[in-house]
Amino acid sequence: MRLAARVLLGFLAGLALWWSATPVYNRLLAGMAEGAIRAMERPRATRLYAEDRRLVIDRADFPSTSDRPSLPVDDLTFNVILFLSLAATTRGLLRDRAVRGVAVSLLVLFALHVLAVVANVEAFYATRLGAWSAAHYGPFSRNLWATAMHFWRFVGCYAAAFLLWWFLVRAAPAAPTASRAPSGRSSSRAASAGGPSRASRPRGKG
Amino acid sequence: MQPAQKKFLVRFVVTLGAFYLLVAIQPVNDHVVVPFTELLVRISTVLLAAIGEKTQSVGTVIQSPAFAVDVKNGCNGVEAALLLVAAMLAFPASPKQRALGIAGGLSVIQGVNLFRIVSLFWLGVHHRNVFELFHAAVWQTALILLAVGIFLAWSRFAGGGEPVEARG
Repeated sequence: MRLAARVLLGFLAGLALWWSATPVYNRLLAGMAEGAIRAMERPRATRLYAEDRRLVIDRADFPSTSDRPSLPVDDLTFNVILFLSLAATTRGLLRDRAVRGVAVSLLVLFALHVLAVVANVEAFYATRLGAWSAAHYGPFSRNLWATAMHFWRFVGCYAAAFLLWWFLVRAAPAAPTASRAPSGRSSSRAASAGGPSRASRPRGKG
Repeated sequence: MQPAQKKFLVRFVVTLGAFYLLVAIQPVNDHVVVPFTELLVRISTVLLAAIGEKTQSVGTVIQSPAFAVDVKNGCNGVEAALLLVAAMLAFPASPKQRALGIAGGLSVIQGVNLFRIVSLFWLGVHHRNVFELFHAAVWQTALILLAVGIFLAWSRFAGGGEPVEARG
């Protein structure tokens, strides 16, 4: 019951944080992703800006009278709720190295969100602009960007949150305990963190 | 990172990538994923009728005079299933333990996913203003949390009863 309460608390905190911070976060995301895209393109024509909960794609070479396409960013960033829900299950989350794990994980998630926006914008350029797409993107790059976009939306965003929690947060509190403990049993636990080998796993009859 | 951790990470990433490529292949999508999604839609329509919603299914679409949803990848529970199976295959366990975990886990995930589809449709009809929040954030996260919870519970069972937290 306590674990369920912690998950619920983490989930609600994550949801509140994600929902309220998204407008500001999207502006930051737009700035970083725009810089990354412009670094890859010649001429540097892409402009990204946040509008409501979406990112609007603008280009200097779009006709001034045409509508500007936009991306729903919520789909790309909501895995922070999943990550914080999982982080809330960690014992000693606020007392030890887990805090550093959470901070590093959030930075990695931000970097992944920037890459996800880049992949989505490039996939849009590569597949949705008809003759322009065909003229500027070959079959390989079309498939590459479309696959990157789809992978992130389908499983990548979940896997990233899970793996960051599993390796950077959940595993973090065990290390100081293991280094302090003199017994071989504690050492074998530390050695088996995150996916023990069968040989190192205590089978526990007594 | 310990060798066992690296092994788990590599196995998980490789397995998940292989599963992703498998379901991304068009014939697999057309002949396995889409028919499976249509089955979910038909069952959901029956469940919605049981709670008084007048709906019908057309392919992967559930529709009523008031609202309609198209159930796509991301809403059919396949993503949670792939994550769960990849994690169970990456974790050291016997084939029997894996088979039991995968069968039980997938059943629970798909049972809950049916509830997700039904509840989202109900929200779309009766509380449209919160539909998108529940669709995009709440249910997606809840289903993956369920998959992770199943994996942790199973890993405790596969680890001979040792609390999984003690190893992490």
